[in-house]
Amino acid sequence: MSVFQAKDLSVSFGGIHAVREVSFTVESGEVFSIIGPNGAGKTTIFNLISRLYDVDSGTLIYNDEDITRVSPHHIAELGIARTFQNTELFEQETLLKNLLIGRHIHSRTNIVSEFLFLPSVRKQELAFRQAVEDVIDLLDLQSYRDQHISNLPFGIRKMAEIARALCLQPKLLLLDEPSSGLNPEETEDLSFWIEDINEELGVTIIMVEHDMNLVSRSSNRVLAMADGKTLAIDKPAVIQNHADVRRAYLGD
Amino acid sequence: MYFIKKTSYQQDIDHFKHNGQRFWYGLLLLTILLTPTTLSDFYLGELSFVFIYAIVGIGLMLLVGYTGLVSLGHAAFLAIGAYTHAVMLAAGLPFLASILIATSFTALVGGIVGIPALRMTGIYLAVATLAFAIIVEQIITHWESVTGGFRGMAVADAEIFGVSFVDATSYYYLCLVILIACILLALNLLRSPSGRAMIAIRDSEISAQSMGINLLRTKSIAFAISAGFTGVAGALFSHRIGYLAPDSFTLLTSIQLLLMVVVGGLGSLQGVIYGAIFIGMLPQAIAVMKDTLPAVIGQLPGLEPGIFGLVLVLFLIYEPLGIHGRWQKIRRYFEEFPLYRKATYKRQRSYLRTERVR
Repeated sequence: MSVFQAKDLSVSFGGIHAVREVSFTVESGEVFSIIGPNGAGKTTIFNLISRLYDVDSGTLIYNDEDITRVSPHHIAELGIARTFQNTELFEQETLLKNLLIGRHIHSRTNIVSEFLFLPSVRKQELAFRQAVEDVIDLLDLQSYRDQHISNLPFGIRKMAEIARALCLQPKLLLLDEPSSGLNPEETEDLSFWIEDINEELGVTIIMVEHDMNLVSRSSNRVLAMADGKTLAIDKPAVIQNHADVRRAYLGD
Repeated sequence: MYFIKKTSYQQDIDHFKHNGQRFWYGLLLLTILLTPTTLSDFYLGELSFVFIYAIVGIGLMLLVGYTGLVSLGHAAFLAIGAYTHAVMLAAGLPFLASILIATSFTALVGGIVGIPALRMTGIYLAVATLAFAIIVEQIITHWESVTGGFRGMAVADAEIFGVSFVDATSYYYLCLVILIACILLALNLLRSPSGRAMIAIRDSEISAQSMGINLLRTKSIAFAISAGFTGVAGALFSHRIGYLAPDSFTLLTSIQLLLMVVVGGLGSLQGVIYGAIFIGMLPQAIAVMKDTLPAVIGQLPGLEPGIFGLVLVLFLIYEPLGIHGRWQKIRRYFEEFPLYRKATYKRQRSYLRTERVR
């Protein structure tokens, strides 16, 4: 069963056609990677899915629902979470607060009860903490819990972003270059965590990634792009030997 | 240095993190409660002003320090609160009902002003709120049948269930109780999802949005809350000055209010209190100085706004974190005594945010 479907996506900024008629389908429980040289339009596709950009033409379908015109904050409520390439964390707050913000869509209290901090709000806060602590345990972030994000090294920030996205309890997770800025050891850990998130939590993952090693280890299928166009969609091993993909990366 | 041992999630949620805090804040409260026994009516009046400023400061801090939206129009919210309250009292409503109506009405206006804030940040938002403040000032000046225009309007005495709050001591306590209530409300908000949503917007709108936070709604609510606090303060302010006229709510008032949160330290509620003490007491300090300084300096025209400006500039250059930030540094110095590193608070330039989505 397909969780997510993109049909003939196109978007251009001025004269630049960032994405041209890209179509793909992501099956439930899959890890789907998008690769391509710089400027291929990979991150643009993510920004289209999280509705930060409007599509010029084409449709986005999530669980048989058309989300092409849904407002950006509604995307999270549908169960789609994302991370950012260069991290977009809440810098002036602790890791814990960042993760608690990840629980926002699960909040059922209104502003009046929050002002008075009624027992229902306290109960919800405790439940949030429990859920956040589970994610902290999963990703081994215990020692950074009370640290301010601005003091954390880049590798930890990357994990913090994934943790924050997991706090939403998403069904579909978009990872934008999770390994960029990580050292080989951290990348190794990341591949295990991606496996855990995918298999234990049952989250479908779409990942933009440059590290072919990580891609071929983690993903079930790969979409290769260049200049906004689809080159091929296939298994990682096939993609690596695909003539068009090689040409895009290495030239003729 | 010591570490707090945490054994339950409640400890992170509670207002007081450990018994030391309970003790010191308790002592502070006791001191404030006993102050009227030692001070003269004049100084009690000035302290009431500090409390009122602090209430505005809480509202403004929630907006500027926690949501990251600048407002140069808070004098207008103060005016709306004050005039609404005075008009309601004149219409014969009891104090509590009147102050509630004043608060809700100011909050409503704030919420509406907040809607354009979705598309504006920084200097543009400051200019838009400034324009709003000027519009309100004009309305107050020209709507003579209600506000009395330049002639102003008298404010009825404060009286709750037959108890009069006219003299300095009782008014001091009234302002204090409302201030404490406001602090508690703000603290509660900040430990709840809505407060965190505001902080999220301050630090990164783009990821706040992808966390499912509705920007328009949250920004508008932040403005409404901020205006609401300012409205309460406006109502108290009206009794304190006794006679409302448009020149109590000018651009200079707005700037002073903003100065209060910046000098106090953006992003902390303690900072609000420091800032309020600062702008509440500075005019007195200047007045005392005027008498002791040589006449050439003491009698200079525009001495007060000049000093205000100078202080603001000095803070922005040397201590952008405000009084609260400075206090934290001092405290940290003693906590870590022989090991304190000067570079702890050194600002680092970050080159990470290259491809921000706008």
